Amino acid sequence: MAMRQTPLTCSGHTRPVVDLAFSGVTPYGYFLISACKDGKPMLRQGDTGDWVGTFLGHKGAVWGATLNTDATKAATAAADFTAKVWDAVSGDEVLSLAHKHIVKSVNFTQDSNCLLTGGNDKLLRIYDLSNPEAAPQEISGHTAAIKKALWCNNDTQILSAADDKTIRLWDRDSLQEVRTLTFDLSVSSMEYVADGEIVVITYGKTIAFYNALSLELIKTVEAPAPINSASLHPDKDFLVAGGEDFKLYKFDYSTKEELESYKGHFGPVHCVRFSPDGELYASGSEDGTLRLWQTAVGKTYGLWKCVLPEDLGVENTDQVYTPPEIKA
Amino acid sequence: MSIPVSVLRLPRGPDPNSRGFDPQSPRFIALCTTSIPTSAASHDTEQLQEEQRVRSMLRENFLRCLLSVNNKKVHFHMLEKVNVEATFGSSDIDVLNFQVSDLHTPIGVQKEALIRSRDVISFTFDL
Repeated sequence: MAMRQTPLTCSGHTRPVVDLAFSGVTPYGYFLISACKDGKPMLRQGDTGDWVGTFLGHKGAVWGATLNTDATKAATAAADFTAKVWDAVSGDEVLSLAHKHIVKSVNFTQDSNCLLTGGNDKLLRIYDLSNPEAAPQEISGHTAAIKKALWCNNDTQILSAADDKTIRLWDRDSLQEVRTLTFDLSVSSMEYVADGEIVVITYGKTIAFYNALSLELIKTVEAPAPINSASLHPDKDFLVAGGEDFKLYKFDYSTKEELESYKGHFGPVHCVRFSPDGELYASGSEDGTLRLWQTAVGKTYGLWKCVLPEDLGVENTDQVYTPPEIKA
Repeated sequence: MSIPVSVLRLPRGPDPNSRGFDPQSPRFIALCTTSIPTSAASHDTEQLQEEQRVRSMLRENFLRCLLSVNNKKVHFHMLEKVNVEATFGSSDIDVLNFQVSDLHTPIGVQKEALIRSRDVISFTFDL
């Protein structure tokens, strides 16, 4: 008997969810942060979707959000021209970094000592968090708004994607451009996979995989609809993607075969990410919700419980909640 | 014909009354340093008790202070050189907003308003 995917819906945001990020695995599990146009990024327990807290302080839409590896710090990028650093345990705002325009992307180095920001002023900025009063280092070069900026190659280099249809690789020390990729279409998203040095880039209906050091193309996968975000499984056997047709797609990374697709969101999918253990993936949508999806459908994990057909009818079924049929 | 995967419960949503980050959670207790450091490292229980007593007194004083401002005319000194007068109502539990009445602004008197506490530098009132 085949099992059907039951996504877990995390409500709470009142406007589109535009970015999400997982932390690493910590002694308290792993966490998920979501950026929302309602200006109130939220922290959730990663494996259950349970709300932990809301970071209050931004005065505009939050376009980017990230956590450091041990989920003790969070950073957010907003339309109020600031990037903020937060204590992810207490929820308190720790730093507010003023920019000259909308900030779109924030990323911590592995040691959480530096924060990389990028946004509509077309500049990349590197802040030393142990000396936040000091002026940040600035990298210019992009000719349009920066969408995403990520540390790569053990924090010695920076990858940035902008609306000028380029992705550029920069050297952190010299602040010089090392390599550029030019596309015909706007790049909709970028994910960096440290283990294996892979960059996942989406544009149009294409999900492309590049070597993060040489920016050489590894492979491309074509989706049935325009894709806004994609993520590669930690074991590199699957990839998931979501976009304008509201659906989530799962592909086999080796064969590029489309394995599964799911309806569920009521609006375009803006972001999708695998959890650090690869057991689930989270999607954020225009419909204001986050949904958690199982990688292996039917497995007992988090809030999902594997109930075998012969167990239904035994008295302990009142512990499990079988969701009602929802016709999408 | 396929069976939907069962779930134990749905993810818990946000608490409408607070911003979360439960101070009772194991993670908070283990990782959060308080703004006023305790001498918890020393195992002197007497000193610890005295410290807790003083902390308790400080908390109580703060709450009494808030109670005494209730319905008083208050002068807010805020960011961006904003100085306004209002009648103080109350604060929310996380001290994120102050509820005030008759807020005198350059564009008129606002009958009821919420002042974002983050924007307030100081406020004064007569006892």
